[in-house]
Amino acid sequence: MPDNLEMQRMRARVEAINALPTVPSNLRQISIMLGKPRLTMDEISRFVANDPALAIKVLRMVNSAAYGFPGRISSVSHAIMLLGLNVIRGLLLGISVFELMQKNMSGLWEHSCACAVAARCIAQKKKMKEPEEVSICGLLHDIGKVIIMLQYPSEYEQTLSEAKGKDISLFEAEKESLAATHADVGLWLSQKWCFPINLVEAIGYHHRPQLSTRAPLETAIVHVSNSIVRAKGIGFAGDPFVSAIHPGAWQMLQLSDDDIRDVLTQIDESISIPGGEA
Amino acid sequence: MRRIPIDELQEGMVLAKPLMRDTMIILGEGVVLTEAWISRIEDMGITTVFIEGSAEQVIPKEEALSQLNRRFQHLSDQPHMMALKKIVKEHIEGLYA
Repeated sequence: MPDNLEMQRMRARVEAINALPTVPSNLRQISIMLGKPRLTMDEISRFVANDPALAIKVLRMVNSAAYGFPGRISSVSHAIMLLGLNVIRGLLLGISVFELMQKNMSGLWEHSCACAVAARCIAQKKKMKEPEEVSICGLLHDIGKVIIMLQYPSEYEQTLSEAKGKDISLFEAEKESLAATHADVGLWLSQKWCFPINLVEAIGYHHRPQLSTRAPLETAIVHVSNSIVRAKGIGFAGDPFVSAIHPGAWQMLQLSDDDIRDVLTQIDESISIPGGEA
Repeated sequence: MRRIPIDELQEGMVLAKPLMRDTMIILGEGVVLTEAWISRIEDMGITTVFIEGSAEQVIPKEEALSQLNRRFQHLSDQPHMMALKKIVKEHIEGLYA
């Protein structure tokens, strides 16, 4: 069992993301920007406008089926107005982080996009006010995996092959061999990046939704979305297994069979979300 | 509706979703593809499009269902997860209908 000291060391290393040479410069810049507690719309617009490739990716994402405005958002400032700063911050991070992963963990982007779609669909069914924010929770829930892969590549490769060899989930293998899991790492970073509490808890507790105290509904949605996407077999998140849905979360959402069918259909229809390509 | 790579496009296929480039609609939903459209789509660097018609699945149905069993292999003692599996199984079978 890893001790506390080891966990603190891992946390320090993960949080030093802005200073590490292994972290690509665009991610580092975004991370520095997100670390500012008061980020204005202007600052984000300017940041995105300086990087046309990034701007195009943001626009393709917000115009895709995962968000509610297919084909209608034509500028980054328009996107920020419609979707809100939190959603755009999450998108920027999602796009820049998962781009790195196309090589090392192929399938994680597809898994994450499908979770974004599923989470938005469930959030709408539950009549939540900001389904786009819940969608971002789905998009980013596995961000810890990417960060561990960046900071501890050889250790994580070993964890991945251990999961495969023992026929267990990656989350179980992480608990056995690392000082912290991808959920812990996601929690630390989303706090460091000043994410809103619903995002912090949905990322940090997506494997143990019962721990969420301030955003239990969002966390339950992401937890259930993750399992539905795994059940459907979209993408690859490190192991092929469906994670057991916590009975409390399942109870809380009260999804009917038809609700689940709708989620599955929406996932099918949106598999073409652009992001990785081009 | 199914999504196919552009090199499998044939004349007469019907677009099931509008073809977008960045934020601009290039061809609308319901357009019947001609040779000329297909070659222009290729020139634009688009990789896949949605066309009408039921999906041709990449793997055989038996394979898809055995993968499903494997994904749920640790969960047979949990009734709510088996209920989810049943819905997903029906959904997958529907894709092959």
